[in-house]
Amino acid sequence: MNRIRVAYRQDGPARFVSHLDILRAFERAARRAELPLAYTEGFNPRPRLTFAAPLPVGMTGAQELVDIDLTRDMLPEDLVASLANQMPGGLVVLKGRKVPAGGGALMSLLDRAVYTARGGLNENTPANELDKRIESLLNCGEVFVERRTGKGFKRKDIRPGIRRLVWKSIAGEIEFLMELQSGSRGNVRPDEVFIALAEVLPLQPHRFMVCRTAMLARDGRLLWDC
Amino acid sequence: MNGLAHVLPLVEKPGRYIGGEYNSVEKGWKEAEVRVAFAFPDIYEVGMSHLGLQILYHVVNRRSDALLERVFAPWTDMEGEMRARNLPLFALESRRPVRDFDVLAFTLQYELSFSTVVNMLDLAGIPLWTRDRTGDGPIVIAGGPCAYNPEPLAPFLDAVFLGEGEEGFNHILDAIIQNRGRSREETLVALAAIPGVYVPYFYDVQYLSNGVVSQVVPNRPGVPNRVVKQIIGNLDEAPFPTRPIVPYLGVVHDRAMLEVFRGCTRGCRFCQAGAVYRPVRERNLPTLMEQARELLRNTGYDEISLTSLSTSDYSRIGPLVEGLVNRYAEQKINVALPSLRVDAFSVELAGTVQKVRRSSLTFAPEAGSQRLRDVINKGVTEEDLLAAVGAAFTAGWQRLKLYFMLGLPTETLDDVEEIARLTEGVFAKGREARIPRGRLKVAVSASSFVPKPHTSFQWEPQAPMAELRERQSYLQRRLKGVRGSNFNWHEAETSFLEAVFARGDRRLADVLVRAHALGCRLDGWRECFRYDLWRQAFEDTGINPGDYAYRRYAYTDTLPWDHLDPGIGKQFLILEHRRAMAGETTHDCRRGVCTGCGLCPAFEVEPYTAREPDEPY
Repeated sequence: MNRIRVAYRQDGPARFVSHLDILRAFERAARRAELPLAYTEGFNPRPRLTFAAPLPVGMTGAQELVDIDLTRDMLPEDLVASLANQMPGGLVVLKGRKVPAGGGALMSLLDRAVYTARGGLNENTPANELDKRIESLLNCGEVFVERRTGKGFKRKDIRPGIRRLVWKSIAGEIEFLMELQSGSRGNVRPDEVFIALAEVLPLQPHRFMVCRTAMLARDGRLLWDC
Repeated sequence: MNGLAHVLPLVEKPGRYIGGEYNSVEKGWKEAEVRVAFAFPDIYEVGMSHLGLQILYHVVNRRSDALLERVFAPWTDMEGEMRARNLPLFALESRRPVRDFDVLAFTLQYELSFSTVVNMLDLAGIPLWTRDRTGDGPIVIAGGPCAYNPEPLAPFLDAVFLGEGEEGFNHILDAIIQNRGRSREETLVALAAIPGVYVPYFYDVQYLSNGVVSQVVPNRPGVPNRVVKQIIGNLDEAPFPTRPIVPYLGVVHDRAMLEVFRGCTRGCRFCQAGAVYRPVRERNLPTLMEQARELLRNTGYDEISLTSLSTSDYSRIGPLVEGLVNRYAEQKINVALPSLRVDAFSVELAGTVQKVRRSSLTFAPEAGSQRLRDVINKGVTEEDLLAAVGAAFTAGWQRLKLYFMLGLPTETLDDVEEIARLTEGVFAKGREARIPRGRLKVAVSASSFVPKPHTSFQWEPQAPMAELRERQSYLQRRLKGVRGSNFNWHEAETSFLEAVFARGDRRLADVLVRAHALGCRLDGWRECFRYDLWRQAFEDTGINPGDYAYRRYAYTDTLPWDHLDPGIGKQFLILEHRRAMAGETTHDCRRGVCTGCGLCPAFEVEPYTAREPDEPY
């Protein structure tokens, strides 16, 4: 088995596409590119594509990852070149590298992700006031948020999963940088952080453009390099 | 369209409104001499499953002087956001407002989408009534099967095209380019001169005191008394979209669609598609194999569906299916057969394409008794059905779906009882095939008969709602006693409304406007359909819907759609209606003997089948 890790960007129209649909778009692109795809066993064989983590709808991703399993060896640059022409709007293949097929699955390696979120505040708030309110939020020990799920509401403490939350101002707007726990050992989503932020700051979460900029392993390495 | 970015995070499935799919075409706005917004009056997932859209997308966008973009009905949440922010209806490719286009072209696939047409015009900011349209707003046109009676929408449509659009659409666009700078009325005059184009504004409708139409006559010189549909003579040479748009979203028919043939010669007497899409024209086998290859290479789909009105009727279906399975099995590509005839041969075909029996098989006997099947000319016997079912069990299927229609002309409770008996017969066959008790599942579905224009049942009234409900509950009770069966039915109210608009005339336009004002749209969706509001709309406008659904027309009556001509002769329909009432069947003209429907001489064509000259049928 040969495995190639592909990094791609997801933005433009594709930021409003759900993970399931992105997966299908990759399967179809890979078939159009006539890659020597390895398939799952069973009655309903599917190409073996493994993604690092679903990107929530509405967010862009600067360096998303998918591992593609092939039946024969292929140069990563050849795979990238043939796949690049086949991508739908908003999905851009950036690079590929060979990874050992026996290595851990991307999603099990993932520990946390870095996000930027840019937008405007409803009213002008001085910088020291911003710092103070965010600091007080992070210092209160626990941050409970309630989120609507498929059935009813879900309440959880997101504080342990917020590894870093800072901000800077850019051209009259502000940009938050968040490093949040991600993956199977616990997951905090930027929209959950925004629910908490909206309690202390004059902002509307849906007016912020959120981008997942990087995914990290437990030891702090980029997932790409693992 | 800046507001859009802020709206999309707030709505369910924003992927419906973004465009950018693989094979979608974004052309330069300025370079195009004519710009078309193609509107499907339902949501994205339904509209993107429609082959006609992909065909016209390809036909227009391959022209250097024209562009065609898509627009669908927003779901209710999106509509709410758009109205709250004054965002006008926009096309997916350029995200420009629909009202900036030169042409807004609706496809009318089912009557229950009529209120959505009104809603989309309203969301686009286009005056509903053609008489109120001035200046250079888009010319609003329509096509599709409901164009064969567009009368309820006629006051909202500048022009209607009858027939297959591959050539006609180009003629319309040419005329619009040539008449650029002229008045709207001059443009409409030019359009009315194109074969297949009906400009409702140029016709006056007169009514008798009993409410029946007395005549529909042109109100200016040079406009034809009857508008005749246009067809493509040679399907092999017709443009076919081998680079269709591949949606991001999972849509209803999420697979490659290979159109095997057009038209159907079975002659089921209730079927409008069978009447208006004549004659049969098959594609040749090598053409289909080549189109399949291109389709799959250009889309990456893992399934290809062989579409037509009755795919197992394709003359070379065996070699086609075998060829596709052999060539594409290695690439894990499935072949799907969406419409199967009720016989053992079709089951055998289904077995060829489906190695794993995970899904169920569907058969449509339509009526329970042989008597009633003869009335509707279904051409299926109980032996056919039981043979098909037996073959399915032998091949390993254990789940079946049976489709029936309630309220067919001449139906009595005895015929309904026969549906239950037939279902029991299927279970008996299952026991014979030694399928373990409890394993065999049969889903029985009953829709309600809707009389459709241009069919031999166009004169027939629909069964009253109370009667339909009585028959539904009879079957429900009866099938409760049949273990393993599961019964579902269509709501009588939706079928009633469908009948009203199917046989409607221009007076219904007021009802549509009123119903829309009350909040009706997306009527095909159970969660949107509000029969109470429809009733109020009829009441408010003083129109009795029963006059449309329940009227029995005489052969001598002028029907609201008589000036629109799909090629099948009225004399033939009368003959067929009489035969139906006498319980006489009519054979399929594929067997070489003409039944005299009148279509071939009218169009100077012959049914075209793909079989070799020396090959027996």
